[in-house]
Amino acid sequence: MMIRVENLYAGYGKIEALHGLSFEVDEGEIVTLIGANGAGKSSTLKAMMRLAPPEAPLVSRGDILFKGKSILPLEAHKVVEQCKMTLVPEGRRIFGNLTVMENLHLAAWTRSKEEIAGNLERIFDLFPRLAERAGQQSDTLSGGEQQMLAVGRALMTGCSVILLDEPSMGLAPLLMYDMFRTLKRLNTESGLTIVVVEQNARLALEVADRGYVLNTGEIVAQGSSEELMRHSHIKEVYLGG
Amino acid sequence: MDFIIQQCVNALQWGSFYALIALGYSLVYGVLRLINFAHGDIFMVGAYIAFFVSTFFLSMQIVWPEGVVLAFTVPVTVILTSLVGVTLERVAYRPLRRKGVNRLYVVITALMCGLTLENGNLALLGASRKALPSLLEKQIYDLGGIALTNVKIMVIFTAILVFVMLHLIVTRTKAGMAMRAVSWDPFALPLMGIPMDRIIVFTFILGSGIAGLGGIMFAMSYPVLDPYMGAMTGWKAFIAAVVGGIGEVKGAFVGGFLLAFVEIMVVAFLPSTFRDLFAFSILLLILWKRPTGIFGMPQATKI
Repeated sequence: MMIRVENLYAGYGKIEALHGLSFEVDEGEIVTLIGANGAGKSSTLKAMMRLAPPEAPLVSRGDILFKGKSILPLEAHKVVEQCKMTLVPEGRRIFGNLTVMENLHLAAWTRSKEEIAGNLERIFDLFPRLAERAGQQSDTLSGGEQQMLAVGRALMTGCSVILLDEPSMGLAPLLMYDMFRTLKRLNTESGLTIVVVEQNARLALEVADRGYVLNTGEIVAQGSSEELMRHSHIKEVYLGG
Repeated sequence: MDFIIQQCVNALQWGSFYALIALGYSLVYGVLRLINFAHGDIFMVGAYIAFFVSTFFLSMQIVWPEGVVLAFTVPVTVILTSLVGVTLERVAYRPLRRKGVNRLYVVITALMCGLTLENGNLALLGASRKALPSLLEKQIYDLGGIALTNVKIMVIFTAILVFVMLHLIVTRTKAGMAMRAVSWDPFALPLMGIPMDRIIVFTFILGSGIAGLGGIMFAMSYPVLDPYMGAMTGWKAFIAAVVGGIGEVKGAFVGGFLLAFVEIMVVAFLPSTFRDLFAFSILLLILWKRPTGIFGMPQATKI
């Protein structure tokens, strides 16, 4: 297993958000975490990224293993550098005062000139709109374009594991499907490992290999996407019947 | 007419001091959202370091050609002053940041660091003032009734040079790009594999180094140093930074020069006791009209 989250407890101050969460992600998989608002999906991703409090929860017990090694002592930028894992955060969080190109270049902080050139080409191939808007200040982009930039930025880091937090949020249905199709393409063509947190469970299960269902900081169901989609209770609660 | 131009030259000189200090406030605020109240005292420390460094060079049994001591003093002072700034960050601010405390406590810590620097200086060096040795033979040029000294020209050119360099750093280098990114939203920076602490240290090096440069320039213009010289000047530079639009490089410059112009012009036509009252009233009016400063932008994030 590439990533193994073991019995993870984490919280913000006195409020515990994750109560003994365990799950696994294998190399080259698309895994989705689904669940209602406040189930602990975002907290899980932030804890995995080792982001610092107060925006991320503090881990109190349990472990997060990457290729068998605990990443709890690492800081977020070290996780990016050493594990080649990064996060596309909820709400995109692009650098609005920088141009599209500057956002992409900044994300390539740890990389060589040749790598950057090759990667840019790939990103502009996936998202031609970003090439059109390369010189534009990025807070002027539409929501869909900002999400493309957020994903493009994650790819520029050269990471092979990408965590996505609600990539469909605020997008029109058509753009949502486009985004998930692109994620699938990245997975099959580039072997990218993807962990995606989604409220739109149906959409996520359609592209994912496996899924975990979270409820108030605990995993209440797991299985392959087909199994989860057939599961009558999940269907009722998360997929709208 | 000559009188007005002469006053303008003087205002440019004072504006340069304010701008060089205001920059440090602005850069640190942009990256950490922290008002580094110790910054005025970093400027003072810079002036004292220049005093000690130049006195050390002059005490050597060497006859230095004209300007050589100055050429040594400037880089050594800038480096040592930036080290003082980085040390403050390491020792006082970073531990608090690590603990995730409210920003208020960091600001109060900064205020106390400033007072510690002032009073530490007083305790160590005593109350008597120090005089910076002459590093440049004073030359006065008379341009049709307007008196220019080589020191004045140097001060103004230094400020312009710093502005151009800083502009290039912020817009053209990766570290500068990261500084701008942090000022928008620091959250995603580590996700790009960028160590936040390195950007913060870089910011303190720039801000404190430039304040050190301001300290030398100030001491060469007014060679009497005392422990409290950074307090009032620092406050004024901070206000200049806010009026210009804190977090913006050009805001620090415009604010600094604006404040100096207002001050000098008030003194030119009114008793000098009116200076600060008028200067601050005008700045208050500007903030009343534009609460975010001249170049500051009210920030909105798209969700």
